[in-house]
Amino acid sequence: MTDRLIDEIRSNLDSGNITSDDLFEDAVFKARKYQDDYNCFVTILDKKEESKGDSIISGIPYALKDNISTKGILTTASSNILRDYIPLYDATVYKKLKESGAVLIGKTTLDELAMGGTGTTGHTGIVRNPWDKKRMIGGSSSGSAAAVALGIVPFSIGSDTGDSIRKPAAYGGVVGYKPTYGRVSRYGLFAFASSLDHVGVFARSVKDVSYVMDIIKGHDDKDMTSLIDDDGKYVSRIDDSVCGKKLFYIKEAIDIESKSEELKKIIENFREVVNKCKSLGMTVEEVSFRKDLLEAIYPAYMCISCAEATSNNSNLTGIPFGNRISGKSVNDIMMKTRTEGFSELIKRRFVLGSYILQKENQEKLFLNAGRVRRLVVDRMNELFKKYDGLIMPATGEVAPYFDMASDKLSDEYLILGNHMVIGNFGGFPSISIPSGFVNDMPVSINITGRVREDALVLNMANKLEEVLGYRGLVKNNE
Amino acid sequence: MITRDKLEELAKKLMFEMKEEEYMTLEKEFDVILRQMDLIGNISDIKGVQPMTFPFEMDLDDSYLRDDVSSNEITFEDMKVNVDDYEENMVKVPKVVE
Repeated sequence: MTDRLIDEIRSNLDSGNITSDDLFEDAVFKARKYQDDYNCFVTILDKKEESKGDSIISGIPYALKDNISTKGILTTASSNILRDYIPLYDATVYKKLKESGAVLIGKTTLDELAMGGTGTTGHTGIVRNPWDKKRMIGGSSSGSAAAVALGIVPFSIGSDTGDSIRKPAAYGGVVGYKPTYGRVSRYGLFAFASSLDHVGVFARSVKDVSYVMDIIKGHDDKDMTSLIDDDGKYVSRIDDSVCGKKLFYIKEAIDIESKSEELKKIIENFREVVNKCKSLGMTVEEVSFRKDLLEAIYPAYMCISCAEATSNNSNLTGIPFGNRISGKSVNDIMMKTRTEGFSELIKRRFVLGSYILQKENQEKLFLNAGRVRRLVVDRMNELFKKYDGLIMPATGEVAPYFDMASDKLSDEYLILGNHMVIGNFGGFPSISIPSGFVNDMPVSINITGRVREDALVLNMANKLEEVLGYRGLVKNNE
Repeated sequence: MITRDKLEELAKKLMFEMKEEEYMTLEKEFDVILRQMDLIGNISDIKGVQPMTFPFEMDLDDSYLRDDVSSNEITFEDMKVNVDDYEENMVKVPKVVE
């Protein structure tokens, strides 16, 4: 039953066909069964938490990414340096879900400290793709995506700094939503790059994402970047007509000559999606976007995110908390703790971030990256005066094999593989929904809308999902 | 051009050690990123643009400021779950003065 959509689970709960205890046991059973093969979880709970909430999701199991604080429950960020860390307080998103009556079943595996896009760098091992175990699910919210794709839980929570919800969602054939920056409180989320970090949702339909968003959104005094609530329920608007809505796609990303058969099929799938949009009465136009700016997105993202991460993670010393290694002095303790606590990738990111922040490099690297960010966001906001949203293939490839990681800086990949970062640069609401299969692997499209217009993005995605026919997609590997 | 000495100096400042092969990967990575950033420097209209540090303008009015009252108290019972060594309600910390 946990592999169904929320409405169906709700009606079975309300009619007494199943109980919340049954659902918890079912979800935990599946989580354990799939753990060796897919490694979705860092922690699977043994005992169901007490919950009294009364909402559409009360009694329904879900999973949280393991960089979200849960008082009394191990929270590691998939890093050795935090492998025994137990938070002393609840993240706001967890508190809201608990108050709504939703039932946590476990904490999901991520790329260490959420810095990575492969699902291969967590301290408890790699996360595999439910559609093909030889492939990645992507990251960094790897376990959250895989747990929904496998039908272990109907929804899960992730975080997204570059595309860390939307890309694993696309690789795993589920819906992944990153709301407007500040729409969901980040209190209790382990900070990676604060100006780009978002909390968001995975589910198997846009409606289910909307149900969860209606619970977790809203202003939070504990997060000074959180927005004043936009009131109203997103779910009540998802069936509005989208006739007359205008979308655009980026010519430079779609209109490309490629030798890759896979990419050709992905573009073909995208063109079919465009026709489906038109069948709903939407217009879709091709728009030119400066190639020099598009190609600058990934390096600018690396500069901004690594610089912010270096600073944010300087508290991981083993002194106030974390897995402390003993030493002769405080300096020795910190040196040993950080040397053993971080994997190679994290160390490389921190060195890069530190270099970027050195006084002599700031102008050329850190500030220029911020300038690129503004030029990209300004261009998007200019386009959003005319259009309601950007529609694109979510990725330029299906989930890669473990031994064939993408070259993010190759010509083909530089734009199509990294465009979702635009959503983080500008804080735009952005969603990936499954749009078909290429080489037996799921592919998705991505819709990005104006800041604060989460309701419209979910509305357009829901109507499109209806005609695409992949609602409720699940890879049931029984 | 980034030198090995510079990378080692940065790692030391960041308080961790790296292995020889890790430095080699790092050097390659730097090479690619710095080349990409050179291209960014060549973007014609980049000069004079105000760097963006936040996704959009937010009105930080009074509603964002809470009253200055303590709202997050941690009890010793809660805190000791992450503490290896303690006595009564006191945490034993590493010696900091040599």
